[in-house]
Amino acid sequence: MKLVNKSIRIFAAAIPLMATQACTKLDENVYSEIITENYYNNKTEVLSAVLRPYTHTNAWITSSGQVGYWRVNELAADQLAWPIKGIHGQDNGNWIRLHYHTWFADDNVVWDPWRLMYTGVGFCNSPIENLEKRDIKSMGITQQEKDAYIADLKLQRAFYYLKLMDLYGNIPVATVVGEVSPPTVPRAEVFKFIEKEIKDNIDKAPNLSPSLVGRLTKAGAYAMLAELYLNAEKWTGTARWDDCIAACDQLIQAKAGSQTASPMALDPNINDTYKNTNHTSREIIFSIAYDFQKSTFRANFNSDFFHFNQRFIYDGSFNGNDGVVVIPGVYTKYSDKDQRKKDWFLIGPQFYLSDPTRPVLGSFEYNNQPLVFVDNVRKNKTGGTESNMSVGEENSGVRFNKYKPGRASDPAYFSNDWAVYRLTMIYFAKAEALMRKNGGVATAEAVRLINDCKKRAFSAADWVTEAYTPAKLTMDELLEERGREFIFEGVRRTDLIRFNKFVTTAWWDHTPSNDKNKELFPVPFRQIAANPNLKQNPGYQ
Amino acid sequence: MKKIYPGIMHSINICIVLLIMMQSAFGQSRTISGKVTDARTGEAISGATIVVNGTTLGTASAQDGTFSISVPQNARSLTVSSVGFGSEDVTLGTSNNIEVALQFGKQSLDEVVVVGYGTQRRKEVTSAVATVKAEDFNQGGARNALDLIQGKVAGLAITRTGSSNPNSGVAIQLRGVTSLVGSLAPLIVIDGIPGGNLDLLQQDDIESFDVLKDGSAAAIYGTRANGGVILVTTKKGKAGPARFDYSTYFRKEFVTRRPDFLTAAQYREKVVSDPRFAQYGVGVYAHNSDFFNDLVNHDNLSQYHNLALSGGSANTSYRGSLYYNDFQGIALENSRKQYGTRLSLNHRGLNDRLTAQVNVVSNFNRSNLLGGGGWEDQLTRIPTLSNYDTAGNFFFQPTNTNQYARLFQQKNWRDQQTSSLDAKFSLELLKGLRASIFGSMQRNSWIDNFYADLASETSIENPVTPAGGGTAAPGASASKSTQLSIDYAVEPTLEYTTRIGTNHSIAAIGGYSYQYSVTESFNASNSGFFSDVFENNNLGAGNQLAAGRSGIGSNKFDNTLIAFFGRINYSFSDKYMASFIFRREGSSRFGKNHKWGDFPAISIGWNILRENFMSGMDLFNNLKLRAGYGVTGNSGIPNYQSLVTLSTGGQYFYPDGSLAQTYGPSRNPNPDLRWEKKGEFNIGLDFSLLKNRLGGSIDVYQRRTTDLLENYNTQLPAFIQSTIFTNVGTIENKGIELTLNATPVTGKNFTWSMDFTASTQSNKMVRFSNDLYKITFKEYGGIGGFGALGSAIRTVEGGKLGNFYGRRFAGFDPNGKWLFYAADGKPILASQINPTTDRAVIGNGIPKYYASWTNDFSYKNFDLRVFFRGRFGNQILNTMDISYGNKQALPGNVLNSAFGKNAQLNDTYQYSDYYLEPGGFLKLDNVTLGYKIKLNTTYIRNFRVYASGTNLITMTKYTGNDPDFVNDTGLGAGVDSRGPYPSTRQFTIGLNAGF
Repeated sequence: MKLVNKSIRIFAAAIPLMATQACTKLDENVYSEIITENYYNNKTEVLSAVLRPYTHTNAWITSSGQVGYWRVNELAADQLAWPIKGIHGQDNGNWIRLHYHTWFADDNVVWDPWRLMYTGVGFCNSPIENLEKRDIKSMGITQQEKDAYIADLKLQRAFYYLKLMDLYGNIPVATVVGEVSPPTVPRAEVFKFIEKEIKDNIDKAPNLSPSLVGRLTKAGAYAMLAELYLNAEKWTGTARWDDCIAACDQLIQAKAGSQTASPMALDPNINDTYKNTNHTSREIIFSIAYDFQKSTFRANFNSDFFHFNQRFIYDGSFNGNDGVVVIPGVYTKYSDKDQRKKDWFLIGPQFYLSDPTRPVLGSFEYNNQPLVFVDNVRKNKTGGTESNMSVGEENSGVRFNKYKPGRASDPAYFSNDWAVYRLTMIYFAKAEALMRKNGGVATAEAVRLINDCKKRAFSAADWVTEAYTPAKLTMDELLEERGREFIFEGVRRTDLIRFNKFVTTAWWDHTPSNDKNKELFPVPFRQIAANPNLKQNPGYQ
Repeated sequence: MKKIYPGIMHSINICIVLLIMMQSAFGQSRTISGKVTDARTGEAISGATIVVNGTTLGTASAQDGTFSISVPQNARSLTVSSVGFGSEDVTLGTSNNIEVALQFGKQSLDEVVVVGYGTQRRKEVTSAVATVKAEDFNQGGARNALDLIQGKVAGLAITRTGSSNPNSGVAIQLRGVTSLVGSLAPLIVIDGIPGGNLDLLQQDDIESFDVLKDGSAAAIYGTRANGGVILVTTKKGKAGPARFDYSTYFRKEFVTRRPDFLTAAQYREKVVSDPRFAQYGVGVYAHNSDFFNDLVNHDNLSQYHNLALSGGSANTSYRGSLYYNDFQGIALENSRKQYGTRLSLNHRGLNDRLTAQVNVVSNFNRSNLLGGGGWEDQLTRIPTLSNYDTAGNFFFQPTNTNQYARLFQQKNWRDQQTSSLDAKFSLELLKGLRASIFGSMQRNSWIDNFYADLASETSIENPVTPAGGGTAAPGASASKSTQLSIDYAVEPTLEYTTRIGTNHSIAAIGGYSYQYSVTESFNASNSGFFSDVFENNNLGAGNQLAAGRSGIGSNKFDNTLIAFFGRINYSFSDKYMASFIFRREGSSRFGKNHKWGDFPAISIGWNILRENFMSGMDLFNNLKLRAGYGVTGNSGIPNYQSLVTLSTGGQYFYPDGSLAQTYGPSRNPNPDLRWEKKGEFNIGLDFSLLKNRLGGSIDVYQRRTTDLLENYNTQLPAFIQSTIFTNVGTIENKGIELTLNATPVTGKNFTWSMDFTASTQSNKMVRFSNDLYKITFKEYGGIGGFGALGSAIRTVEGGKLGNFYGRRFAGFDPNGKWLFYAADGKPILASQINPTTDRAVIGNGIPKYYASWTNDFSYKNFDLRVFFRGRFGNQILNTMDISYGNKQALPGNVLNSAFGKNAQLNDTYQYSDYYLEPGGFLKLDNVTLGYKIKLNTTYIRNFRVYASGTNLITMTKYTGNDPDFVNDTGLGAGVDSRGPYPSTRQFTIGLNAGF
């Protein structure tokens, strides 16, 4: 026993020796990663956090190739669709359900936009919290800069909530990361929150200027107010036409700055707004900005729109997934005299830009045969006459050509900024507010506003017959013209809802559900399951 | 610090209590005499060792096998053993004369079992520990050390999802799924090095594998033992004359079970004849190609050489081996060449009180990674195309990849070096008390190389624009990446063994473990090389560096594991045994609220045969009951999961007009992140009867793994990311394992012995949710391919793991459109399916039963091994048939089934039970015939030649690829691949010689 006791003593004595501080230290060392605790140490680090939500906004507001706001707001509406084309486009039925309005609460097309947009809300909330709790010295910025950065972030957050409210209506409003179980807030209350956030920060935000391209400035804030008030009747039950007009006037009168040295104005040429040097567009109010020459970040619209061999058509380097096409019948809503019809679409046989005599060839149904885009969706190859979402071929549908990336050799190749708000939208918003205030009848000013926009697409000779008169510019015609002007820009569903046509009208193979509840998407099932304070939207319980 | 003491003090208290219980007594002596014979031949064995258990008394048998020994009156048993034979425990009765028949080469009760931080004799083991010794290893040549024990251990699933690809590893899983997203693989410990690298093991250097199957044994390895522990012991030198042992083999492989796609002739007949596809028979489509065959390396020949030098004196022994392998795959440009060495030195001094053991191991290999893939591309390529255009250049199309051309126009290889160094010094402080320190370092580094030349398809189809604009032109692309990982371990231990009286024996060990791993990597890529001269040796030369489109990256991360551990083994007269384990372990990877965990275990054993009431019972030679319970953990999770890291969000415009990176949170905080925790109960019975002609063991276990990590949906808002990696779920596994060994025939010239293993298990997802995080189901087993068909497997709370969940096939309508059953049993079209209500559980991908059967025959100098292996009671999703057994995939090439069994189908891709097939199989995995040449010389100790065939016959109802290579581990088990590495039949001839 003595021996044993001795050994135990030795053993027991050895343990503390081993167990000194260093021997029980389990801190996690970070080498090639950044953690919040050790960030925000200088102005560049602060800016890198302030600008983070913008690159994230790219993912859902533009045609980015992700299931974001853009995709659902277009593919659920009457202008664009992603039909099955041969072996492509089945995609779990996502695009078919959007088109036929048969989405469900557990649907990816419902969840993905929510996920993307609320993640962005987090990207705003986190730096707001970090900036507010840190003193300016530790961040190496001035108080003025700090205020402006916080205002910028709060305007971005208001933009996120504005678009979330558009899709889902009654939503949780969180302003702090990690707050547990934020409850559903009725749409009218969300509206008030957004309105207050914009108004509280609009005067802290700078005017739009060439160095603030791609940022939410005072100009973007007025555009947000215009959109908010234009839809106020639909969203809250209370019309706000005069407030809408007032916000529009700030921009129409060029009081909130411009992307260029000249005051804000409509672009004289209908393509200036979309070209690869459109950071010089006079009418863009807020865009997601890119410079593909300086970085690898660019607008990704090729993904949804471009054919598998599209790069030959524009002599560039990117193809696409042959996805989104113009719904049959939309293209013919443009007059043949309309410059937009010629410039914004691809139809018919396609040729190499580098050799206009050489046809671009297909790869699937038309493998090694000339690629000819047609204004229909059916199995032409086998003489099919049925036309619906399931019977497309690789060449089905008229194609997008609104944004043109330029040739690969172009010094601004693929540097197109994606316009989120542009002055034409403000002209249309004011005109619509005037008409609705006037019982749905056009006023002279409304006609002038719309004509100012539309006449850019016509020759002087043609314009004589094409110009609107108060009699011609009915509410239905206004919606049609909105469609022609804003096609591909991610606003169509919102428009149809505001005009009460989203669930009541038929287009192509879409039959109306006549279910008002479809004007809102359901709250994603997984969030209802995760957060007991969320309420499902009507009709989806 | 305070937290550490209670556990250790607790262990010490147990130790003291046990010591106080012990009593002892001595008495008179008597003489036992007898004879030792070979159980097989009846011949006498000379020089066999006879030891009186519980004493140091011993003797050896004479030339005629007889012996005589004086034993104390109270001695209960003798242990008789001899080199090459097992050992036998003989219970002493009233008779003073005993006959002992030793079994040749079979497991014996006195064999040493490695149990982690020490060894035990088989008869003392109280947990489920399986041992596989070198002579039982699988034949036919291993690509990975674990190939040697595939099918040999009941409950251990080892699956070659990469078939015979020489650059592929194996999927390993012990006793079912114990983790949703964490590591399922057992902890590999090579000669004490935790996390040992399998590249450092050559088959002829391995002495044995010991598998700690249940928690009561594995708890000594704490947070890394949920998947079980595999302890590998390498061969060491022995005292005696210098020895040379040389082993070699040559292997050739042939494709079997090739996927049944249309040949060019069939394609013409069935596809081109259709006017819609007439164009695929003319112009560039006027050829007859067998693209699959083009990738096959028909001239493959693999070779293996291993030369071991060993020897030693009483105090020093050594063994050094040198090896060279050239493993060639069945694919072109798919090989692994490696050479290396393993040196071990054992040294003893200070009057035998100080022992030292040093191992130095290194492996240098070059893997050609270019080939081995692309099978799906080749199978589906239109067979009337050619690899070449009319001018004799490689033919490219933008919509597919010329995989054959790739083999000539690209390079992709890895140069790797793996080394380990370990040393253990052990000093006997007092009788029975040893202090030891073990240290190890394992270093793994490689350089990956890639180059695609100017003429390659990727260069031609992805033209690059130089800096400042200009015309896009083809440019070659190149990259290099490197990685260096180093693992350190230091483990001081203190051991105490004593015997109190004749009946009580105690072995205790306590120790501390510090393990630190660090990994750094670097990569750079560039393209736009206008010349092939540099290849990837001058990365700066490509013009995309200046254009800002080259890539560069690096990272570094580390983690630390610290533990205090102890074990006490107590035995009363070899009749009752108990083992107590306690480990307290922490990992840097865990959240700050849960850095440390406790892992206790207890197990007991009862040698029933030693009871008085069993005396005179001749039927049994061994009968032992074991029971144990142990807690283990799983820290096999990535680094930094508990911290809020920021990650890049793409570049955006700063106010000065420059574009710079943005940063945002990429993870939600989780200070509660911790290990997955398994509690396991195991009951086992070891038996041997009929003079050891039949033996085996049965184990029954129940394990419950809690705090399972999974990515859970957060509340979004107000979290930032939509998922959080957190501990929530619970899985339960139950199973039975049976191991049998039998010697049906034993004679002078002919012996037939067999081993049989079988296991069955069930896995249940007990809980997926807690108050905060909820999942009703989770999907696994992505189907892939066209049609975005989603996942095949859905695991629901309370349901079985591995359930296929989908539509139920109801036939085709007259137009060949899919019909599926709605919930109410009516057949409906796919577009009418309600995904929430109309889908159901349609099968299960996890095998219910595993079995293997090894037969060893020996006749004079011939030996023959016949090895069967199988899995039963599962379904496999035939994904190849989904994608290519459908005319929808035309004009790409399709399976013959598109015109055969699926001819009626005229619709898009759908996932349903139509594609689920019985996945069970029985495989004649290996037949090896060997011949020992007896040479009349003293210079050659042994000389054996053999021929071996592997993967010979597969009996299955499955019509897809080889079901043996379909993954059966994890939660996505049972989903076949659309382009697997081909199954091969392999033939080996080899030689083992000792001088």
